[in-house]
Amino acid sequence: MSQQDMKNISADCAEFQEQLPELIGENQDPAAHPHLEHCANCSELVRDLLYIAQQAKLLLPLHDPSPAVWEKIEAGMGKDPKQK
Amino acid sequence: MRRNPPIAGELEAIQRAQAGDGEAFEKLYAMHKRRVYSLCLRMVSNVAEAEDLAQEAFLQLYRKIGTFRGDSAFSTWMHRLTVNVVLMHLRKKGLPQVSLEETLDPSQGDGPRKDIGTRDLNLSGSLDRVGLERAVGELPPGYRLVFVLHDVEGFEHNEIAGMMGCSIGNSKSQLHKARMRLRDLLKSGQMTAKDGAK
Repeated sequence: MSQQDMKNISADCAEFQEQLPELIGENQDPAAHPHLEHCANCSELVRDLLYIAQQAKLLLPLHDPSPAVWEKIEAGMGKDPKQK
Repeated sequence: MRRNPPIAGELEAIQRAQAGDGEAFEKLYAMHKRRVYSLCLRMVSNVAEAEDLAQEAFLQLYRKIGTFRGDSAFSTWMHRLTVNVVLMHLRKKGLPQVSLEETLDPSQGDGPRKDIGTRDLNLSGSLDRVGLERAVGELPPGYRLVFVLHDVEGFEHNEIAGMMGCSIGNSKSQLHKARMRLRDLLKSGQMTAKDGAK
């Protein structure tokens, strides 16, 4: 691959990646973008970003606050917790 | 699929709490405490601080619930209160890692980083919950907040923009930068693990 080819690919990549926040943010399918037909680097980038977004769903809240939190809130509401 | 559907019994609890019913408020607390606390915990990484912030968020909810008109989903409104409490707290602490303004304002020369390089490790199939949680904890606060609200909690960009007082474009841009940073963090973790196994 010539240096000119490399430069063109880099310019294409930069342009594609400028659009990427909007492409992904609009819930469009960035994998269908024509640039990815010939760019392995950006294809891998998109695959990774979508994979991270997908895996983030594993991080749903798992922990409850301690019971003391509600007791303090109740006290802050001007109530006596023992009256309940 | 929408990940923030209305909760059964929530509307009735809201209406009763607005009328001053303490038991109804406790029901609302039970419905939302896990998500509110988890958001606080992810943002400060400290149980005691996170509990203080969750407490403050619910006390603000108690004071302000009469002003809720249902223009947005209750969970969105509740999260807006929580985000405000968290942001106030982070600003008071002076944000030791990266200033929140810097990560919330795209005009600060913090444009999206480009990835124009050689191919290296592929993340697909390699992520576990613990590794991702650790990497999220290393994100600057502004990135982390948008990532958690969008990718973990399932809020839309327009909702996040409303919560954080920024534009929808800013929310999208922050999310993209957060994912790019996570990719870097996760790949460097992979490289370290690979080097360590040699």
